[in-house]
Order: sequence, then structure tokens, then C-alpha cells
Amino acid sequence: MKINRIYAIVIKIMYSFTHSYDRIADAFYWPTMDLLLWGLTSTYFKTTAAGNSKIIMVIVSGILLWIIVWRGQFEITVNLLEDLWDRNLINIFATPLKFSEWITAFIIVGLIKAALSLLFAIGMAYLLYQTNLFVLGFNLIPFIFLLILTGWWAGFFIAGVILRFGSKVQTFAWGMIYLISPFSAIYYPVATLPAWAQKISLIVPTSYVFEGAREMIGKGILDYRKLLISLALNIFYLILALIFLRKSFDKVLDKGLVKVF
Amino acid sequence: MDILQVKNLSKKFRVKNKKDFIAVDSISFSLKEGEILGFLGPNGAGKTTTIQMLLGVLTPTKGEVSYFGKNLKDYREEILEQVNFSSTYTNLPWRLTIRENLIYLSYLYNVKDRQKRLKKLVDIFHLDNLINMQISQLSAGQLTRVNLAKAFLNFPKVLLLDEPTASLDPDVAEYIRKFLINEQRQFKTSIVFTSHNMAEVEEVCDRVIFINKGKIVADDTPEKLAKTIEICHVELIIKDGLKRTIEYCQNHGYQYKLSGRNIIVDVKEKEIAEFLRGLMDKGVYYDGISIEKPTLEDYFLQNL
Repeated sequence: MKINRIYAIVIKIMYSFTHSYDRIADAFYWPTMDLLLWGLTSTYFKTTAAGNSKIIMVIVSGILLWIIVWRGQFEITVNLLEDLWDRNLINIFATPLKFSEWITAFIIVGLIKAALSLLFAIGMAYLLYQTNLFVLGFNLIPFIFLLILTGWWAGFFIAGVILRFGSKVQTFAWGMIYLISPFSAIYYPVATLPAWAQKISLIVPTSYVFEGAREMIGKGILDYRKLLISLALNIFYLILALIFLRKSFDKVLDKGLVKVF
Repeated sequence: MDILQVKNLSKKFRVKNKKDFIAVDSISFSLKEGEILGFLGPNGAGKTTTIQMLLGVLTPTKGEVSYFGKNLKDYREEILEQVNFSSTYTNLPWRLTIRENLIYLSYLYNVKDRQKRLKKLVDIFHLDNLINMQISQLSAGQLTRVNLAKAFLNFPKVLLLDEPTASLDPDVAEYIRKFLINEQRQFKTSIVFTSHNMAEVEEVCDRVIFINKGKIVADDTPEKLAKTIEICHVELIIKDGLKRTIEYCQNHGYQYKLSGRNIIVDVKEKEIAEFLRGLMDKGVYYDGISIEKPTLEDYFLQNL
């Protein structure tokens, strides 16, 4: 891998970001709206549910941590889509750029933008609800790491689907990740789900992270077993997603990059 | 020395519920150092498919592409650092400015002394006043110039140019053609050149390959290919006897086009004298005559 080529793709995406109001809105507007809607709803719940003083923290931390998954996935797929919309795939793959360098650039941009969105949202949460995610301390690191992994494999999988079918399935870039959100137990415990949904949440790595974060907030306990299950599931899905993405790219090369849009 | 070698290159596309479509059928050719090769053919002949395979953005069904004696499949990175292209079927990111596009691409090619190279290209392609404009704001002609600047970014040893002068004003097109010839002479750049403008191909290309239905049908110099066509265009401005001229052409099976008192007759080169004598015998008088020798366009029209 060559740093200059990864850097080239990173600056291309960042140039595009600075010229694009919709990308800026994606990074800051939607997290703010989520925080306002769910934060205010949980403020109301707090007044009605006696004795549950941590409900705001639970809901707001759920929103903040979900931003990591969403941005990780979103950046990979939307940046791919931008190259499809621009019909720019030939321009970049007729250069010495390697597939792995392209993907690495997407990951780096995803990390940068996730950090930007997350820090912005953490600041907003503190201002609006005096809720501070950093009370989780260093325990936040494994949670964030696992959620980033989920964002990556989801992004790679959706990117593979988009490469195969083109921008006619572009809606997956915005919506597909939400397929796992009901089973991720972002705002509620897995135990409150119906039995069939609980079975699905067993194979969803984010459910273990959000359960773990809730336990940390509520009881101050970090369940390493949950984190390990999440890690194993994430690695398994990441490998599958990367294989799928590579095969999708090879299939596209067989059709010709000029025919993908 | 052969800079580019193509051996038995084929591309077959699967078509649902139909027979496979063979876009390129076992073609072989080479490109010498410092040579400009015209790659011509009608729409759908297989030109774009071939160029895509030469760029490594389309996997061949069969065959091999080698640059500098190395296989593209195995030495992709090393080769593509020295190759570039300009094409009408791709776009640059439309939100980015020209400067931003050239900067990010210069990092992809790891261009040394980046700022100096960018300035030079901006000067050559007259982009000074446009450099901070977004691609979406440019006209077709301006885009063509940006694509050409992009193509020369990495001091390529091999250039694949698909319609490089399309949408350009005639004076700018002429300037670009001279620039290409100068690059070829000065830096021994090898160029594969496609165009629908046959006069341009004759001016620029050392050699021409015609491709049709995925197969190479001719490979020679423009002059030699044109010489295979026997028909010349004889244009006469008839002073007296237009009707007799038309009758003479019809009786002797000559094809002609009429425009007022001007008539253009297709006559074999060796029969021109006999044709003119025949008109004289019929009492035809003409004010002007011009004889146009066969061109590459005639070859194209007759053979493809």
C-alpha cells in the first residue's frame, strides 16, 4: 500500500465534503435532530417513569454510540456512490491505485467524520441535557472499537451490493443499516424484545455493545464476555463482507467499470 | 522497441437469454516507442472495449496486454504509473474544482514537483482563468482541455486518447494536435488515438488500425490505406452542358452529387483523363475543376 495514493482519495473526499451542503448536513444536522427528538422524549419519560433517573443518559448514549456505526457504514457507501454518480471509477482505477488503498481511504475518512460527528453530538448532548458520555472513561474505547467494526462490515457489504447492482439500489446506503437497529437494543434491553427478535439479536454484534454500555451506565459493571462475543461476530462478518466486496469488484471489472453507474 | 503489445485479446459479454456478444475478437497489435497509432472504427466496433482492457478497467476474456515487456495483470501498478488516458465516457468529480481534481490525481500518480507540473499544464491547456471553477460549471470544450491536462499529469510514456479534440474550437483543436505531435517528438510519447475526424487522424497518426465487429480489418499507414481506394472525387463547375454531363455520368455508371452548377463525380484515378475527354466530346464546357485524391475517410466509408 502506498500512502500517497490513500492520501489522494482522502483529500478527494474531503474536497467534495467541503463543497457539499448535503454531506455537511449528514455529518451535523441529523445527529442534532436525533438528539433533540430522542433527548426530549426521554426527558418526558423521566417525568413519568418514577425512579429511572438514568433514562436520559441511556437514551442519549445510545444515540451517540449509534452515530459511530452509522457514519462508519455511511461514509464507505456514500463515497462509493459519489464515484458512481460522477462516473469517476475509471479515472481512479486507470491509475496505480489498488483496491485495498481505495477501501483504506474510505475507512480513514469514515473515522475522521465519525470523530467529527461524535464530538459534535457529545458537545450538543452536554449542552442540551448535561449528559456526558465520557463518564464511561476508558471503557468507552472497546465499545467504540466494536461499533466501528460493525460500521465497516455493514459498509463493505452494502458497497458490494451497490457495485453489483449500481445506483438503482442506492437507497441501501441510507437505509440498510437500520435493518439491524431494532435488534441492536440501542434504547431498550434485549430482554424486552419478543422471543423471535431476541433470537435475531443474538447474532447482531451491536446488541452486545449496547447491552454492555447500559450495564456500565446502570450498574458500573463491564461484561467482557459480551464484548468478546461482539468481537467474534464482528470479525466473522467483516471477513465475509470483505470477500463479498472483492468478488463484487471483480464482477464489475468483468462487466467493465464504464458500465457501473 | 514495442512499448505496448496486445496478443489475441478477446472480450465476450454475457447477454441474458441471448447468445454471448463478442465485443473484441482475438485482436493483436503493437505500439512502438514514439508512435501515434490511430485506432478507428464505426460505433460499436470494439474500440472503447479495447481501450478499457488496455487500461486494466475491464478484464479480458482471453489474451494478454503487455507494456514495456511486462504483463499488465502482474505489473499493474508499475505500468499504470507511466500510462494515462483521456476519454469522453468518463467524468471528473463535478463538485471539485479543476485545481482540486489535478491535485488529488497528482497524488495518485505520485507526481514529483507537483506545483510546478500543475502550473505548466495550466499554461499549456489555457486553464489559468478556470482553475478554481468546479467541473460542473465548465463547457464541453473546457472539459476536454481539463481531461487532456489530466492525461499529461504524470509525464506518461503511453497515452490513450479517445476523441481528444471533440468539442474543441477548430483553432484549439489545431493547437492540441500540434502539442501532441510535439510531445511525441520531444519525449517519445507513444499515443493510441481515436477520432471520428479522419483528416485529423491523417495529420496526426503514423499508423492506423481499423477495427470492425471486434476484429482488426486493416493495419497500415494512413497514406497506404487511402491509396487502396481507387476512386477520386472530380469536381466541375459546369458553364455549359450540365444536362449532358448528368446523362454522360448515368450512361457510364459514374456516381455523382449535384449542387447548383457544381457536380462532384466519383471516378477511378486512371479513368479521369478518359472521363474528361468524354465530356469534351459531348461539348461540355466547365469553368473550374478540382480533383480530390482518396482520403482515409473514403477508405472508412468504403470498407466499414
